[in-house]
Parts: sequence; C-alpha cells; structure tokens
Amino acid sequence: MPISRFIFFSAKRRFAHASNLLPRFGSSKRIQSCGYTKSAKNNYYKKPTGHPVVNVETQASRSSGAYIIPPILLGFGGLLAFLHYNDERRAVKIGKDSYTGSDTAAAPIIGGPFTLVNSENQIVNEQDFLGNWVLLYFGYTSSPDIGPDQVRIMAKAIDTLESKENLKVLPVFVTIDPQRDTPAQLRAYLKEFDPRIVGLGGPVSAVRQMAQEYRVYFKKVEEEGDDYLVESSHSMYLIDPKMKVVRCFGVEYNAEQLSKEILKELKKHQVNA
Amino acid sequence: MLLEAYASAKQDEIHTDVLLQARQACYKARDAFYSCLEKHSDKKPTEIGSVGLLYPTECKPSREDYVKNCRVSWVKHFDRQYCKTKRTQRLLDDKETRRGV
Repeated sequence: MPISRFIFFSAKRRFAHASNLLPRFGSSKRIQSCGYTKSAKNNYYKKPTGHPVVNVETQASRSSGAYIIPPILLGFGGLLAFLHYNDERRAVKIGKDSYTGSDTAAAPIIGGPFTLVNSENQIVNEQDFLGNWVLLYFGYTSSPDIGPDQVRIMAKAIDTLESKENLKVLPVFVTIDPQRDTPAQLRAYLKEFDPRIVGLGGPVSAVRQMAQEYRVYFKKVEEEGDDYLVESSHSMYLIDPKMKVVRCFGVEYNAEQLSKEILKELKKHQVNA
Repeated sequence: MLLEAYASAKQDEIHTDVLLQARQACYKARDAFYSCLEKHSDKKPTEIGSVGLLYPTECKPSREDYVKNCRVSWVKHFDRQYCKTKRTQRLLDDKETRRGV
C-alpha cells in the first residue's frame, strides 16, 4: 500500500511539474496524465498484489519517458519555427530597391551650431552659411608645410569649380590655434591664397566647441613658450546648404581630385533634391 | 560679449614669419641644408642639430642659415621628417646586406 501511494503521489507531482514547465501543451497531455493518475488511484483501492505493482511501475516508467521526449521535440521544433519566422521578417527581400530614405545614417552625424569671429572682426554663426555649399578646413597659420599645402589645394579646387563648372562653393578656414591667429593674422595669411577664403577664429572655448562638434582632433605639440605646432587631422569637410556634413576629404586629395569629388557630390545632391 | 572678450587680447601683431615670403625663404634654406647633407654624406657627421640629426662641419653655414630663416618648431619638424625618410630609405636599400631573408 505505501508503495502504490508513493507512486500515485509521484505521478501526481510529475503531472503538476509537467503542466508548469510546458504550458503550451494542449490538453492532450493533461488528459493522458489524468489517465495515469486515475489508474494509480484505482490501483490504490485494489489489493496490492504483485501484478498491480508491476502495472503501476511500468505505467510510471512509461509516463516518465513519454513526459520527457515529446516535449523536448516539440520545444525544439517550436524554437526552429520561431527562428525561421524571425529570419523571414528581418530579411530584406531580394529585388526590393536599396535602402532609401536612410542615406543620412550612412555616416556619423557631425557638425552643429557655432559662433566665431571672422577676419573682419564680425561675429559669424552657422546661420550665415545656410544656403551655400561650404568647404571647411580646420588649420592654423603657423603650420610648416601641410597647412599651406591644404589651403592652396582648397583655393585651387574652388577656383576650378567656379571657372569651369560655374559652381560656387564657399571656402572656410577655421583656426585651431586661436591664441596666435588673430583676425588680422588670418586676414594677412589667407589673402595670399585667395580672397574668397573666409577665416574664422575666436575665443578658445568657441573654437573648441566647434571642433568637438565636427570631431576634429587638435593638440599643441613641441611647445617652447610661444612657439608650438598644432597636431590635427588636416581634413576638409564638404557641407551642403542645409549645414549638414556630406563628406570628409583627407590630405591625400590633390586639387583636381578634390574638385572632381566635390562636383560629384553636388550633382548627386541635385538629383536627390 | 564674444567680441569684447576677444578684443582684449593683443590684436595688432601679425606673425610675419609664417606668411608666404617667410615660408619660401625657409623652404629654400631647408632645401639647401639638406642638399648639403646629401653632398657630404660620406663625411663623418660631427655636429648635432635638433632631434638627433647629425651633420658634418662642412654644412655648418647652411645650417645656420636654415635655423635663422625658420622657426624653431619648424626646424624640429623638418628634421624629424628628414630622419624618418632617411631611415625608411635605409631600410629599403638594405635588401642585399640582410641575411636569411
């Protein structure tokens, strides 16, 4: 009697356990287990002879096997079905045209508002450049070789674009050395390259804020009192009329390549607009 | 507010030693010095310039001219660049003398 009672209780526990773990199971399992418990209950009232014990035992072992394998199989199948459905949902269908409406997310969004002083000692902010294409270069007048080269390339590219393609791009030179590059200094320096280049400087905090917005790295090196070099990335930014940074050009571009690339960007923008 | 804070700094002085003419003079002196170095590359370098650049005494006058025409930070910058190119050239030319490769 105690044996059958133990088996009955264990069967009941297993049934409860099963129902907790596998809720998705339909009523079929429960009916089966109900059948098992019912038979166990029936056995409880019978006299515990050898046969019923054996019967209950085999029933108990069959129930444990039956409890474990089908749920696992069904669970696995369910997982596969879920993954397949997820893949189908996430995949971009073949033949659907490329990612439209998201070319803004192709690169990190850099740029932002700024307020600086130009070489005529006037306050300038980004609103003044809206509506123009801008080629922006962060440099400093005391650069030994790369700075002047870059400014020269910039001036030549702007000139090529204006004379050959009749496209006006405004060149802007922002100094990353505002302590030494006063507006007068900027004016004298840039005048030698091209009168169209706008020189911007200002207090160190304003320049630093703009450099942060445009992710420009700059650092004073080789410092010997007032004589130092400024290490920076020496790259030019092409900005569209809505003040959004379209492209970044490094030092590897010469004047013709630069003008060609800028022309490409302008044409692309005209198609999109 | 911006303008006044900025105007308080000294505004009138212009560093002419970075403008076009000064730059040209500096480049010319620099090139003269380096060509002197190339010319006398077989001589033993005894003088020391900045950042570890050694040069023979024959090039001393051009060195002085170079240092006079360029800013100190520029001199160091160009010297460092020169040493780097020399080193890479030496590495590239040294192919025959390397063993085992």
